[in-house]
Amino acid sequence: MRAISHVSALAPSSEQEGILSFKNILQHGDAATRASFLIMGFGCLKRRQFIKGMLYLAAQVLFFAYMIGFAWQYLGKLGTLGDQAMRREWSEARQIYVRTPGDNSMLILLFSVMSLLLIIGFALLWRASVRASYKAQLVEEKGKKQPTFADTIRALMDKQFHVTMLTLPTVMIIAFTVLPIIFMILIAFTNFDADHQPPGNMFTWVGLKNFTEVFWSDALKAGTFGQILVWTLVWAVFATFSNYFFGMILALMINKKTVRLKKLWRTIFVITIAVPQFVSLMLMSQILHDQGPLNTLLKQWGFISENIPFLTNATFARITVVVVNIWVGIPYTMLITSGILMNIPADLYESASIDGASPVRMFMSITLPYMLFVTTPYLITAFVGNINNFNVIYLLTRGGPLVTDYYQAGKTDLLVTWLYKLTVDKQNYSLASTIGIFVFIICASMSLIVYNLSGSSRKEEEFQ
Amino acid sequence: MKKKMNLRLDLVRLIPVCALGMAITLLLPWLHTVQTLGAVTHNGLDLVKSQNLLHMTPLTAAGVAAILLSVIALLKPSKALLIAVAAALSACVLSGVYALLTLKRAADASGLLTQAFLMRDLGPGLWLYLILAVVGLFLTLRAMREPIEYIVLTVMASVWLLPIVWLVLTAFRQESGAYTPYIMPKGYTWNNFTRLFTETAQFSFPRWYLNTLVVAVFTCVFTTAMVLMISYTFSRLRFPARKKLMNIGLILGMFPGFMSMIAVYHILKAIGLAKSLVSLVMVYTGGGILNYFIAKGFFDTIPHSLDEAATIDGASKNLVFWKIILPSSTPIVVYTAITAFIAPWVDFIFVSVIMKDEYQNYTVALGLFRMLEREHIYEYFTRFCAGAVLVAIPITLLFINIQKFYVEGVTGGAVKG
Repeated sequence: MRAISHVSALAPSSEQEGILSFKNILQHGDAATRASFLIMGFGCLKRRQFIKGMLYLAAQVLFFAYMIGFAWQYLGKLGTLGDQAMRREWSEARQIYVRTPGDNSMLILLFSVMSLLLIIGFALLWRASVRASYKAQLVEEKGKKQPTFADTIRALMDKQFHVTMLTLPTVMIIAFTVLPIIFMILIAFTNFDADHQPPGNMFTWVGLKNFTEVFWSDALKAGTFGQILVWTLVWAVFATFSNYFFGMILALMINKKTVRLKKLWRTIFVITIAVPQFVSLMLMSQILHDQGPLNTLLKQWGFISENIPFLTNATFARITVVVVNIWVGIPYTMLITSGILMNIPADLYESASIDGASPVRMFMSITLPYMLFVTTPYLITAFVGNINNFNVIYLLTRGGPLVTDYYQAGKTDLLVTWLYKLTVDKQNYSLASTIGIFVFIICASMSLIVYNLSGSSRKEEEFQ
Repeated sequence: MKKKMNLRLDLVRLIPVCALGMAITLLLPWLHTVQTLGAVTHNGLDLVKSQNLLHMTPLTAAGVAAILLSVIALLKPSKALLIAVAAALSACVLSGVYALLTLKRAADASGLLTQAFLMRDLGPGLWLYLILAVVGLFLTLRAMREPIEYIVLTVMASVWLLPIVWLVLTAFRQESGAYTPYIMPKGYTWNNFTRLFTETAQFSFPRWYLNTLVVAVFTCVFTTAMVLMISYTFSRLRFPARKKLMNIGLILGMFPGFMSMIAVYHILKAIGLAKSLVSLVMVYTGGGILNYFIAKGFFDTIPHSLDEAATIDGASKNLVFWKIILPSSTPIVVYTAITAFIAPWVDFIFVSVIMKDEYQNYTVALGLFRMLEREHIYEYFTRFCAGAVLVAIPITLLFINIQKFYVEGVTGGAVKG
């Protein structure tokens, strides 16, 4: 039943695509429809759809005003990103140096990207207006009554409801996600760094220079990149699997039939996730400080005589972040695996215990394979999350300890924290963007694997 | 009668042995002789008496209780008695840990000692005492056929809660300074909290708290509305570009957020909104609306027959949303709203990029973050802790309410068993 309704819902729209193609409209449209290729809303206006027609026309006027009045000055310089540097000239009349502002490469790039997005949006609107004109013509030819503006509004509340619902969110996403991402991807092909900082200086296109530098040609940057990449992956492996196993063991303990007060135990561990990470992790970094309480306590108890450099020695720091991450992460795994663990068929365990299997044996041959099978997508998501685990690293060690054979990075820096430092502290935007693209490629390819593995995309329609 | 059979009597016999062992370990410092400053030789007992080290009293009392109860349990084994033994042993462990944390300071304060008191003299005794108490607990649980997981869980729970307990203790600590060479504060006070609200010249905490609240409320309203709009559209409406848009949404979510924040700042500057609270609301809303997958998954589970029936009765898609989908989705609305509300309280990165040096428009997270900078940490650490407590309490309460949905959120509904 549902399948049929789907087919019938889809069929007309693909048929419509054929009728509303530009080729067809140019062939069969009358003069008014063809005129709307140049003057948006013309066809609608002629067929007495005044409000709709005027809205299209107004959009066209506004767009051209925007292009001529504002966007052109930026789009024209997109090729060079500006040629007039800021000048200081001695003004005889005023006896001072006068600054003439030059081209601002960053604004040129930003507004150009913005204008290009607007042009795409306008093109879509233009297509819609041409189609609207043609539809009006078809209605007229059939001798039916033209839909009024109120009808259009009604359609937006029903048949076209998706347009109504998605417009505002799409605008937000384009403005705050798409536009910035395109901008930063383009930055990776420029030399926008601390030495080329608008408005004082200009930056320009450098092609693939940043990529070649990061991957091989600049020994310092390439070396840093390679080592940080290796550490990022090592970290992600350790962080993901340590949390996974210990979290699962914790969940197993709480879930054990004879253990009482399950809710209380769970809540205790949930509290530690609920406390904001910038609080709990900064506390941790204080506790683990060279003169912090943990060192003090260990010294009082006589286990050590010298302070342990938990966060200031490269090897210790790396171990510390992994251990603290266990503290941070176990409750999450516990929460997530609890529900799944309860789904493991109980008779598996019963028959195993009749055969005299030890608890460890049961964990290794029943629990673990089952969990690995069910939670593979979660594991990969967690792995990607750990590659991007900014908070744990930045709040604990700030990427330190810093070393001189790294390019503005420290021994515990991940690619993301390095990216953050390059952007916020060093203003080396082009390098940061290059790294960002690389991180995106790793994460996106892994996430796509998850998406396909999870089957939720394939089964979506069946499930409903 | 049946209950008695359930107890493992062979283990019950071992418990008093443990308890007696604990008593012996406590005698170790009494017998040991220590050299003190004035070259006068004291033995440990003198020292304990002279300094009135009250810490020993609970240790001794709990130990004695454990011995007595375990001996009675040996003579007349019953479940109730064993529970009492377990309680006494737990008290032993607790007082032992407390002594470990505090005795050293008390002993140092006596000024009599030249050597590490805790380790060399009392130390081994105390550690042995603790170990024996835990073994005793283990035996008691075993004897009652109760899961020994309780011990592991308790140890883990204390490790996990310790930093939070330390946070609360420090929030009430009287002495300032970042790290103290001891755990328990010397004195307690409300001052850290009151000074947060009264000394606002440099760090105006009340203003930030208000900022965050305002931003959080607006972000919550806008994000919830938009997330519901997107999820309803993708879950219920069928239109040509649907699959394509969903895939784009998925890919956009994978870009590291900080990669684009500089661009976001300049966009906001270009439209004249940089360093304002409005811009924060926009940024959090823009970031939050891509997390629509959970709500969409929830809408997918509402039976289609409901809205099909309504459509046949002539209801528009708009009406279906308001009359059918929304009323049956309270939990997911609450989840979406709470996650959106929490975001501004915990983010310190975006806000630092957007606000730069505009102190008046900081949110609590960034403000507290700034308190721990090198030049402020000594003076402000206790106040940081007080502020953190004030932020953490509401967030924790909210989070505990939504943990069920949180699980689905993290796993993206992919893990359904």
